[in-house]
Amino acid sequence: MSKVTIPIGPQHPALKEPARFCLTLNGEKIYEIDLRLGYNHRGIEKACEERTYIQAMYLVERVCGICSHSHSTAFIQAVEEIAGLQLPRRGLYIRTLIAELERIHSHLLWLGVAGHEVGFDTLLMYAWRDRELVMDILADLTGNRVNYGINTIGGVRRDVTPRQIERVTKAMDTFEERTKYYVQVATEESTLIARLSNVGKLCYDDAMRLGAIGPTARACGLERDARKADPYGLYGELDFKVITDKHSDVYGRAVVRLLELMESYRIIRQLCKGMPEGPIAVKAPRKIPAGEALSRYEAPRGEDVHYVRGNGTDKPERVKIRAPTLANLQAVAKMLEDNYLADTTIVIAAIDPCFSCTDRAVLLKKSRRRNEEPVLWNSLRDYGIAWHRKQGLDFGDMNRRFGRMMERSSR
Amino acid sequence: MMWTEEKIQQELTGKFAFLDGKIKLQRPRRLWVDAPAEHFDAIFSHLVRQMDFPVLLTITGLDETSQFCVIYHLAQLEGIVCNLKVVVPKDNPTWKSVGTFFPGGIIYERELVDLLGLKIEGLPPGNRYPLPDDWPDGQFPLRKDWKRGGEAAIKEKAS
Amino acid sequence: MTALIGILVFPGVFFLSLFGLVCEFVDRKLHARLQHRVGPPWFQPLADFIKLVSKETIIPEEADRTMFRLMPALAVAAAAAAALYIPMWSAKALFSFSGDVIVVIYLLTIPTLTFFLGGWSSTSLYAMIGSVRCLTQLFAYEVPLFMGVLAPFMLASTWNFSELAEFYRAHPGYMIFNVIGFAVSLVALMGKLEKVPFDIPEAETEIVAGSFTEYSGRYLALFRMAVDIEMVVGASLLAAVFLPFGLGLPAGVAFALYVIKVLFVVVLLSILRTLFARLRIDQMVDFCWKYLAPASLVQLLINLAVKGALLS
Repeated sequence: MSKVTIPIGPQHPALKEPARFCLTLNGEKIYEIDLRLGYNHRGIEKACEERTYIQAMYLVERVCGICSHSHSTAFIQAVEEIAGLQLPRRGLYIRTLIAELERIHSHLLWLGVAGHEVGFDTLLMYAWRDRELVMDILADLTGNRVNYGINTIGGVRRDVTPRQIERVTKAMDTFEERTKYYVQVATEESTLIARLSNVGKLCYDDAMRLGAIGPTARACGLERDARKADPYGLYGELDFKVITDKHSDVYGRAVVRLLELMESYRIIRQLCKGMPEGPIAVKAPRKIPAGEALSRYEAPRGEDVHYVRGNGTDKPERVKIRAPTLANLQAVAKMLEDNYLADTTIVIAAIDPCFSCTDRAVLLKKSRRRNEEPVLWNSLRDYGIAWHRKQGLDFGDMNRRFGRMMERSSR
Repeated sequence: MMWTEEKIQQELTGKFAFLDGKIKLQRPRRLWVDAPAEHFDAIFSHLVRQMDFPVLLTITGLDETSQFCVIYHLAQLEGIVCNLKVVVPKDNPTWKSVGTFFPGGIIYERELVDLLGLKIEGLPPGNRYPLPDDWPDGQFPLRKDWKRGGEAAIKEKAS
Repeated sequence: MTALIGILVFPGVFFLSLFGLVCEFVDRKLHARLQHRVGPPWFQPLADFIKLVSKETIIPEEADRTMFRLMPALAVAAAAAAALYIPMWSAKALFSFSGDVIVVIYLLTIPTLTFFLGGWSSTSLYAMIGSVRCLTQLFAYEVPLFMGVLAPFMLASTWNFSELAEFYRAHPGYMIFNVIGFAVSLVALMGKLEKVPFDIPEAETEIVAGSFTEYSGRYLALFRMAVDIEMVVGASLLAAVFLPFGLGLPAGVAFALYVIKVLFVVVLLSILRTLFARLRIDQMVDFCWKYLAPASLVQLLINLAVKGALLS
């Protein structure tokens, strides 16, 4: 087989979000990579400038569906620094608790996705079953499964009850037991090891040079963790280890994430045990003084960096967001070099990419031999309805009846 | 050598006398340095090569109405962050790439090109980021005088 | 006339399709239960089939239309034809002649070839890569499958299913010697059916759906039916070769026994595919030649030794 160029994305079953990796293949081996990002640019940074700090915080929370708490915390940490707010201890405890629960939910999600990418759907189903537990806890504590909305400038919005704390502590036992099982699976299942070992190698120097972060970097033996290096929130007082691994491949990244889960359980136990009484938030001024701050936050996928500049009004002058995936994508091209096509998706998935989603128009071209014209969404829909009608299936009546029903119920 | 914020400040003012008074210690682990554009190269390479700043967190570009400001957020593995600010004039928004120091920083520079309209010299050829390919020329969303919807009108005119 | 009914209805295409759907249900349900999922209701495979048939068929403009349309039908035909030579619940198949086992194995190869040709002629990149993988994989598992299946025949000194059944009825104890062959054939069958860990040609996270990427509507339905029939035929082949007992029982009991045997093989396949991650194509080829082929050789040697020591 001669060289072929195969597009992975922007829409591809392996990528849950749009990004395009154009791979030139030599047989089954990857020969060249071309990366195109930005399919999901939503202009959030610009939009923040037109909103008040509180509105911007909720907007920033929606940068990512999985590490939503990370982005909102990173953002308000910067705002709180500019405003010179001192957070109450209990507020910090709750914020950190949610942060670690989010890490658990994100890492379990990754474990499932990784299993799916290498065709090990059983792992996907098991990991996501357990992820439901932590989602339930998050819903219990914050009211939401994702996009918790618990942060507010100056603290958190919801208190936790002793009973909830008890439930969280109890769930940690279950998690610990299950995670031990996954560690066992990861270290003993031969096909899984065969698919993960020596795949997507990234040596220490390359990780350093290309600016890899998060579990990707830590799996190369690079001890980069903003929680230790630049302690924010409560992390300066907590007892936890930065997990590193020397495998430098996808297997190492899996091991790092699994062991980080165990660390998260430990952190959560400490938080639950030491939770002080007191207020959960201080009152924040509507207008934030002029000033600037840089905030670093160790999100599950790596380090979030937020830069905020205030100008004395109730709207930020500039918000700059650096999500972890952007830093790690540079390393992906390096990892993919000379790998098999079959390994592409797991290598990409191994950095736990998060391109965030966006709504973009589909441009289908009606191709009748050279005479190309774009097909609009509505005409595509009409075409579908007409085709089914020709086959004797007409849902028009049912649609109308359904519409009337909805109308009546809304009245 | 273990660096502290004060040591970094001393080293920088010792080496570059004109930086005296331009270094701000905001809080532990946060330094802000205003670098004159003509000495940027020397300061940047000294920080990276001699003072153990191996990490480029990101590059922020700002439109300060009368001028552009570019901030390089450099970090040490131990946690100290040095925010190196440099001013780029509006009438000639040309700046240079730090791709030789940080190949991973190229993507942040492409953001400056797309969103603020800076011209970065020494940027390798490649896909644009993050705006779509059919985005009209001369539209830079992060400039303060840019209004939403401007690009749509132009696109419509073009088609 | 009886032959025509035999081909079309029972035990021909109609019965095989129905039984294929049942097997698909058992496979999917068990797979789901093993993964802590609820799984589909019993009519789901049939519903899927009807849904696909009623959908619009889209054929890529660049594709070779004749080949693209012909291949799914050919796949079903080949898989169903193979079934006619396999004895299912009596010692005798619908058609039988000396050397029919060779024909069955060859007929079972044809669906794989149609996957290749169908994918290749649809000209999609994903389909082409899937097709190439299909063939690469074929060369890896086919030899172990041949040797594994033929070993029991060698023991019985015949190339005919009916005579094989006769032999094992006379000497039921000899079935035990074929255990390695059974294991090898089971694994090779997973490769043929493209099930995890050998679902490399249709690895959805890499190449969308492999050979089937461009297929839709009734052509896809036919291909899926072909895979289902292939599963029944493959399982029947394994049952006939490695579990040839109870063939002389009254028709009803023998039929029930046949269903149990096939479902047993399907259950084994289903459990195996729950346990593993998908291999890479090079790992798959390595595995087949390094472990599977030698294992089937060992089986042949055992049978030769047994034949020399006990049957002479």
